[in-house]
Amino acid sequence: MFELVDATKRYGPLVALAPLSLTITAGERLALMGPSGSGKTTLLHLLAGVIQPDEGRVAIAGRSTETLRPGRDLARLVGVMAQGFDLVPSLAVVHNVLAGRLGEWGIGRSLLSLVFPRELPLAQAALNRVGVGTKLYERTARLSGGEQQRVALARLLVQQPRAILADEPVSSVDPARAEDLLTLLVEVAAEDGRTLIASMHAVPLALRYFSRVIALRHGHLVFDRATTAVTEADLTALYDLRQEEARDVR
Amino acid sequence: MSANPLKVEARGDRLALDAGRTPVASSEPGLPQRSLALRASGWLLVALVVASWVFVVSEPSAHVGDLISRETLDHGRDFLQQLAGVGEARPAYRDPGQWRQAARLAYRTLAMSVLAIGFATIGTLLTVMAGARPVLDEGRPWPRTLLFGLTRAAWIFSRAVPELVWALLIIFVFSPGILAGALALGLHNFGVLGRLCAEVVENLDRRPIRAVRSAGAGRGQTLLYAVLPSALPAFLTFVLYRWEVVIRTTIVVGFVSAAGLGREFRLALSFFHYSDVTLLVLVYVLLVFAVDATSVGLRRLAR
Repeated sequence: MFELVDATKRYGPLVALAPLSLTITAGERLALMGPSGSGKTTLLHLLAGVIQPDEGRVAIAGRSTETLRPGRDLARLVGVMAQGFDLVPSLAVVHNVLAGRLGEWGIGRSLLSLVFPRELPLAQAALNRVGVGTKLYERTARLSGGEQQRVALARLLVQQPRAILADEPVSSVDPARAEDLLTLLVEVAAEDGRTLIASMHAVPLALRYFSRVIALRHGHLVFDRATTAVTEADLTALYDLRQEEARDVR
Repeated sequence: MSANPLKVEARGDRLALDAGRTPVASSEPGLPQRSLALRASGWLLVALVVASWVFVVSEPSAHVGDLISRETLDHGRDFLQQLAGVGEARPAYRDPGQWRQAARLAYRTLAMSVLAIGFATIGTLLTVMAGARPVLDEGRPWPRTLLFGLTRAAWIFSRAVPELVWALLIIFVFSPGILAGALALGLHNFGVLGRLCAEVVENLDRRPIRAVRSAGAGRGQTLLYAVLPSALPAFLTFVLYRWEVVIRTTIVVGFVSAAGLGREFRLALSFFHYSDVTLLVLVYVLLVFAVDATSVGLRRLAR
């Protein structure tokens, strides 16, 4: 589904991602781990095709991201879920969900839908699926953080991409809701054999819900293995290094 | 300034770790002190105020004495009496017929202001995306950059020319009246609104916009589903606010565009119909008050 060959990304003198090669097959559930500034988000953005590598290449479903223009083509392949700030607050929930259909709609239909929502059953079904079916016509800004995350997920259900990329999907919700949301995310991804890639802060959650872990630090790969093969030593290494860094900074 | 105490503290910590003694913060240089420049500028302000007054009062050509001279007081009293209609059998403000006439003028003035802000709003909506820095970071072909520059230039030009000057120019082309006044007011406010609204667009939260784009929306769709819904409430606030300003300016533009209350105001002054002036000012104040109240109410609704 995804292939990176020596993909590198720099921001000025800062190496956000050192040459990295990896292959992600369809249907994998992959967690990206590592301290802040380790390159997780950069990697996620590369996989989403929203940024291009300085060197090396990134391919999604066999096509280089350079040839994938933003818009419909990319939206059919990957759907992005950010940290809960990716909805338009002043719009009704239904329009935020139906925004997932924009790749398939023309401009006239999109405009009409803002007045008379099109494909309403689809939006309703998606919202029911994520458990906020009653909020269809509510202003999105009135929803709680957790509910907004669910609406964002409903948009992905309507968009039907082949892979879901989530940037810290549960960092802004409380622990109990985080589990619910992750369960839902994993279920939704599994239904149609979608690939799921999420950057994760909480180690236990990452180990419980994902099948593979990629750990980064300073833009370098620390380890890449199946969740079942991750050892105490791996984690200690990652976290000891992290403390060392903290000391260096001081 | 505010970073200094932190730095001192951090350095103190390391001292404590290294040598095992408590840091002596007070002996550290660079602690915040009451700035000498600040105190000096305070005294400078006082000196400047005193010196200015001394200069103004002692300067003979300023005629400060005239402000409170016998003559000025007499003129002032006469004028006020004329405004109040002393000695007139029926001052204008006690004549229902005159009130009806003034109300009609007020209505036309209101129409002029609505037309003006309407012109400005349409112009703004048509140009705001061209004149705002791009919200999507996807690079920009040169024709767009050119369009951006042209739009910005048009805004600057149209708002640099005051309403009164626009009106003076426009009545060479259009016959004086409501439309000419509205055009003049609209042109000036087009430049003002354009810039205000472009700033709204530039300061929008980019995350929802990128998200809609990544959900497969084209540029036009992104505008419809992310940019406009986020920006329109703020646009509305600015439009209403500028409408208040427009209604306050109608009287001046009316002077030269020969329309509404402004025209009558000038005529009444020219013919020394002072109690008419009183009536017109009263009606005008009521009009401005009504518009302000309406605008405040609508803005509250928009929130």
